[in-house]
Amino acid sequence: MGARLMEAEVTEVVEAYTEALAEQRRTASDPGGLLTLGIETSCDETSVAVLRGGHEVLANVITSSADLHNQYGGVVPEIASREQVQAINPALAEALTRADLTFWDISVVAVTVGPGLVGSLVVGVAAAKALASVLEVPLVSVNHLEGHLYSNLIENPEAGIPAMGLIVSGGHSLLVKIFDHGIYEIVGQTLDDAAGEAFDKVARYLGLGFPGGPAIEKASRDGDPAAVAFPRALLGDSYDFSFSGLKTAVMNYVRKQGDSANIADVAASFQEAVVDVLVRKTVRAAVDNAIPTVMLSGGVAANTRLRDELSRACHEAELTLYYPSMQFCTDNAAMVACCGYHRYRRGIRTALDVRPDPNLPLA
Amino acid sequence: MLVLGIETSTPQASVAIGSEQGVVGSCLISRGTTSGEFVLPAIQFLMNQTEISYRNLSAVAVGVGPGLFTGMRVGLATGKTLAQALSVPIVGIASLDLLAYEARYSSKSICPVLDAKRKEVFFGFYRQVPGGVTRTSEFMIGSPSRLVAELTGRAEDTLLLGSGALLYRKELEASEGIEFGSIANSFPRATSLVELAIPRLMREEYSRVFDIEPLYMRRSDAQLNWERTKRG
Ligand SMILES: [Zn+2]
Repeated sequence: MGARLMEAEVTEVVEAYTEALAEQRRTASDPGGLLTLGIETSCDETSVAVLRGGHEVLANVITSSADLHNQYGGVVPEIASREQVQAINPALAEALTRADLTFWDISVVAVTVGPGLVGSLVVGVAAAKALASVLEVPLVSVNHLEGHLYSNLIENPEAGIPAMGLIVSGGHSLLVKIFDHGIYEIVGQTLDDAAGEAFDKVARYLGLGFPGGPAIEKASRDGDPAAVAFPRALLGDSYDFSFSGLKTAVMNYVRKQGDSANIADVAASFQEAVVDVLVRKTVRAAVDNAIPTVMLSGGVAANTRLRDELSRACHEAELTLYYPSMQFCTDNAAMVACCGYHRYRRGIRTALDVRPDPNLPLA
Repeated sequence: MLVLGIETSTPQASVAIGSEQGVVGSCLISRGTTSGEFVLPAIQFLMNQTEISYRNLSAVAVGVGPGLFTGMRVGLATGKTLAQALSVPIVGIASLDLLAYEARYSSKSICPVLDAKRKEVFFGFYRQVPGGVTRTSEFMIGSPSRLVAELTGRAEDTLLLGSGALLYRKELEASEGIEFGSIANSFPRATSLVELAIPRLMREEYSRVFDIEPLYMRRSDAQLNWERTKRG
């Protein structure tokens, strides 16, 4: 029968472990010039980045097959996978050219292993393994969602942790409590559509094109966000999200109005409802958990209205808000390289037989 | 000339290293997953055992399918990236060419058949020539009965080999004058890939890394459905 630790002993063990980690972090050697090559191929973006010292972005090449998915109104996995295999090698070449380096200068290879589309993930993972093997450098796996969290640390290495992270993209809407590097707890997530997915579906319904985020934002510019009072699913005390009802409300409204529906007003009011829910929940989660910092990330973080409203609300609640510059919002390899660099410094190495996991959990 | 071969387009994945003097070593696995965890560890094992390093390689050869989509992409992404980092030439060879090469001692018409899933097969026709085989048809994809029709039309003594031939043995047996290859020769192999790549490399018949593509022979479902709805 295994001995059970008393509560005091548990505290001791945890403290010893935390101290050991901190020590390891202090002493880990960083030659400053450590060059991390990051690869991101989890969906329809093919991205390769090179970072010096984990934060200086020497190159962040992003190509996307979004145009090819346009007519289908969403990402088609098989088409995305086919494009990945054609795009990865030119992206590698382009990243090294822009960084003015050769493969042989690279010290660490970081790659997204999930979550994402398996057919797309395997391409980046195979290329990363090949590079790590041929260059004889360590391979470090990265969780795509953790990568998004690190998109804030690329430009703000000193950003405060603990923090409340909001990841909003086509595939995800997550509220994540960031205790420390690598230590997370998911406090809220979507019960149905991700925020970006709701943007895509509504944009398609309104005939505004794909991807929906930028399309809705553009259409909203000429619209009144208060024109239609669409419902906000606040779900009581929960930090979870639900955007499916809102999407239905938009469709019903447009159907009822017929030709007289003002698309700009509908788009602006819909965007306002999404932003309102995201902002309210995020601020409440940070305040309730006594966390002074908020980190916004993911493709939807590029939405200006969301940035502005969250800034305003965080300022009011005396929270410090970080959000990445536009190029680090949508899927990109700079965030993967930054995350990989921090994982490498914590001593994490990945074996060459690692298998991509389309459902890899963050915590 | 040392060449690394990577063939992962079917459920039997393999890697091999060889030169003009023959195969130096190979690793083969029939029960791996299609996401190719086997490939890099196998290459490293081969290199350690044969005391060959990446810097000794003169070229990379990859199997380009037709076959399993994910497997082909793993093989191509791996082979292309290695060739790119090493700045060495790359050669892509079709899985059916490799399979037909396994039967190069047969004087019959040779028809390699691979499972294409969804009750279809990939196949092609070949005949013996000095030093190997030559293809006498296009690469084809279709139901086993389409293959039967093709065999009937040709009316030649034919050796059918490959996983697809064994899978649809019952349907295919309806044709006359056919013989089935053994289960041992039912998948394309990296050893044949290396053997076939070397003469091509000698003749400088290689591709730019960026130009090599998998041989899908089938459009994505989304494209097919899209065209169907547009027509319908
Ligand atoms: Zn993402």
